[in-house]
Amino acid sequence: MNLPRRSFVRTAALGTLALSAAPFIRAQAPGKKLTTALIGSGWWGKNILKEAASSGRCKFVALADVDATTLEVAAEQVNDLTGDTPKPYRDYRELLAKEKPDIVIIATPDHWHALNTIDSLKAGAHVFLEKPTGHTVNESRAIVQAAKTTDRIVQVGLHRRIGPHHVSGMDFLKSGAVGEVGMVRLFAHGGGGKESPSRNEAPPEGMDWNFWCGPAPLRPFNKKLHPGGWRHFLDFANGNLGDWGVHWLDQVLWWNGGEYPKRVFCTGGRPVMGAAILTETEQTSDTPDHQVATYDFEKFTCVWEHRRFAENNNEKHKIGAYFYGSKGVLHIGWRDGWTFYPSSKSGKTEHQDSQLQEPDGHNLTLLWADFMDSIDQRRQPVAAIEAAHRSSVLPLLGMISWRLHRSIEWDGAKEQIVGDVEANKLLARPYRAPWEYPTI
Amino acid sequence: MKFPLVCSLSLVLFSTASLGSDWPHWRGPNRNGTSTETGWNSQWSGEPKVAWKATVGLGFSSIVVSKGRACTAGHAEGQDTVFCFDAVSGNELWKHSYPAELGDKYYEGGTTGTPTFDGDRVYWLSRWGDLFCFEAGTGKIVWSKNIVKETDAKVPQWGFTGAPLVHEKLLVLNAGEAGMAVDKATGAIVWKSANKDDAGYSTPLPIKRGNAWIALLGSEKSYLAVDIASGKEIWRHRWLTQYGVNAADPVVNGDQVFISSGYGKGGALLKLGDGQPVETWKTKALRTQLNPAVLFDGHLYGPDGDTTRTESLKCIEFATGTEKWAEPGFGTGGVIVADRKLIALNAAGELMIAPASPTEFKPIARAQVLGGKCWTAPVLANGIIYCRNSRGEIAAVDVRSK
Repeated sequence: MNLPRRSFVRTAALGTLALSAAPFIRAQAPGKKLTTALIGSGWWGKNILKEAASSGRCKFVALADVDATTLEVAAEQVNDLTGDTPKPYRDYRELLAKEKPDIVIIATPDHWHALNTIDSLKAGAHVFLEKPTGHTVNESRAIVQAAKTTDRIVQVGLHRRIGPHHVSGMDFLKSGAVGEVGMVRLFAHGGGGKESPSRNEAPPEGMDWNFWCGPAPLRPFNKKLHPGGWRHFLDFANGNLGDWGVHWLDQVLWWNGGEYPKRVFCTGGRPVMGAAILTETEQTSDTPDHQVATYDFEKFTCVWEHRRFAENNNEKHKIGAYFYGSKGVLHIGWRDGWTFYPSSKSGKTEHQDSQLQEPDGHNLTLLWADFMDSIDQRRQPVAAIEAAHRSSVLPLLGMISWRLHRSIEWDGAKEQIVGDVEANKLLARPYRAPWEYPTI
Repeated sequence: MKFPLVCSLSLVLFSTASLGSDWPHWRGPNRNGTSTETGWNSQWSGEPKVAWKATVGLGFSSIVVSKGRACTAGHAEGQDTVFCFDAVSGNELWKHSYPAELGDKYYEGGTTGTPTFDGDRVYWLSRWGDLFCFEAGTGKIVWSKNIVKETDAKVPQWGFTGAPLVHEKLLVLNAGEAGMAVDKATGAIVWKSANKDDAGYSTPLPIKRGNAWIALLGSEKSYLAVDIASGKEIWRHRWLTQYGVNAADPVVNGDQVFISSGYGKGGALLKLGDGQPVETWKTKALRTQLNPAVLFDGHLYGPDGDTTRTESLKCIEFATGTEKWAEPGFGTGGVIVADRKLIALNAAGELMIAPASPTEFKPIARAQVLGGKCWTAPVLANGIIYCRNSRGEIAAVDVRSK
């Protein structure tokens, strides 16, 4: 398997990487708008949609969502922003078959990513896929393979690969100013407390709940899940490690050239939020309220930690990455930009502010422009699928170790767990019929 | 342009009739964010006097004032508490606590509803359906129940938020997709609506149409009207927002109704007739996500935008929807009108008094009365402006004339 080295991305960015032109049959001359569709038309999908709309390079032809109300709201927004009248679809497969869009944006919950993406690629579209790439490792591998087979571009929503303070912070780190890095600590802390169950309800009028659950187990509808809460349900996502973790682990792999760790060990639980509940009448979320995952790399140790309680201002930074080097500590954060704290007393603290799009604090405009440029220039984008796949694998390995209560040894070349049949089974999951797990 | 004249005339008539005025329920004596109170001091120099301060806990519940008592609510450590203070001295008269969830979905949580005074009673509906009738003087519970446990009403995403409306013998609630009514004396359910859609977050607003009183409600997917006596639905105007949040009360002028929501939705002026209302105009200029706009002299004044975005206080013309001015950086604050002046509290806790004019927003007095986050509109009653922030700090700003 070809590894997505940093040099690859860098070279590609310079436009010197010659990709075959032939497969890009639908890539249009610059200036011509690409037909675009969105699958998963909720909050984040519409954030990406707005970028596509304001880029002036896309024509919205279709939207898909399993909820009729969400579709109607999104269609109205597209119309407000662009004057386009996208066709609404309940079933994304019908959208792909009828519209054959040049670009598909995928902003569904994690458990849908693989099927949505692979089907879109097979229908000939370039894909903007939200992170993490998959809900399980082998889904993500299948996406990588499909992108290769179809020779389409997949940009993943890891906007921290292009955010200005991340780029300059990474340049600073790679310049050697931090010295020899021996340890990395990644974290995202927030507040919270004990969780009470909510009553299950009938799904909202006009929503196909069975379709929403899709390949995951069917469970009673609950407002804790939708809209927005599914990240904290293991059937559909992987909690904070799968959400925030992938962004910061991606910074590490961006720095080290995409090299995998050798071993992973993760603990965590719900001592504060309380035991997960799922009955016919009520439910709570079920992801851990805190986790600590250790990634044992060849040359350094990387620790992830998150906590959803005991929020306070006792720590200088609540979110981000600390790179601990022989010359000092570099913090690359979110709204707090990046800061270098030198070890020597004579050293100078250095800092750069973030430059984010608010209110949601991202850099989607840059990421979308890079995606469009990559299509025009027939090069790989900054958060191309191979690199994004590897960054997505790390939280998923953490979740496997957490479930099994033991460390796992990772053979990165084969993408297999060494000597652990039970753990390897968790690289995939059973799909609910009629949905079929993608084959690698 | 008939209506502005009628509107301003009636205000003049009212304003000569009284000086002080209670604010016994959400949106004040006229249920439209205006007060008839005149003669209060709108031009303090330096810092205005603060009559009293109190802390009631997390939330956005507004303050209501009746017969010398001020009532509001907040949340702390797993409990909601309804407080009643002496409106002038701030002495605590009574309080009542009950277990409640924090409900911190996408914000810090806490109470969002507002109590309602009705004579010697106070009514309170919690986010989770706890409905109380208290004796206003003592805080003694006359009756209480949980409407979610008793009916099949679904709790909307952020909980019940509309204040109970007292109308004759009924207490009308924004619960169920088209409201619910209970007997105010006993709490017995009189009528209820279906639950295919969720409730919205506005307070039922009574208006008279012909011989009947109807209540206007923001529901999950529409603004609608129900006959108060029977609960029969009169019309439903589909009005979708991203999270089903129709929170801002409609603003009524005769047979015209202005509705508006956030999340990029915007506003529309509806004309009521015999059947479905008809949209006269639509605008993106005024998107009231939480606090509704106030109509004064042919113009709407209100906050435009969402809590997550920097909002402007705006003025738009009622007849046409044309934007007259925008004051950036206002945030998700609130505004009321009294004595031809705007009383505006911005999201950062700065209180401003400015002439209500379509020409410009030019404060004649301002003061930083609170810190933190103020998403609750200020309230004027008998020369005191009551302000609160999300942490539940209350500042009772004394603007009584010397």
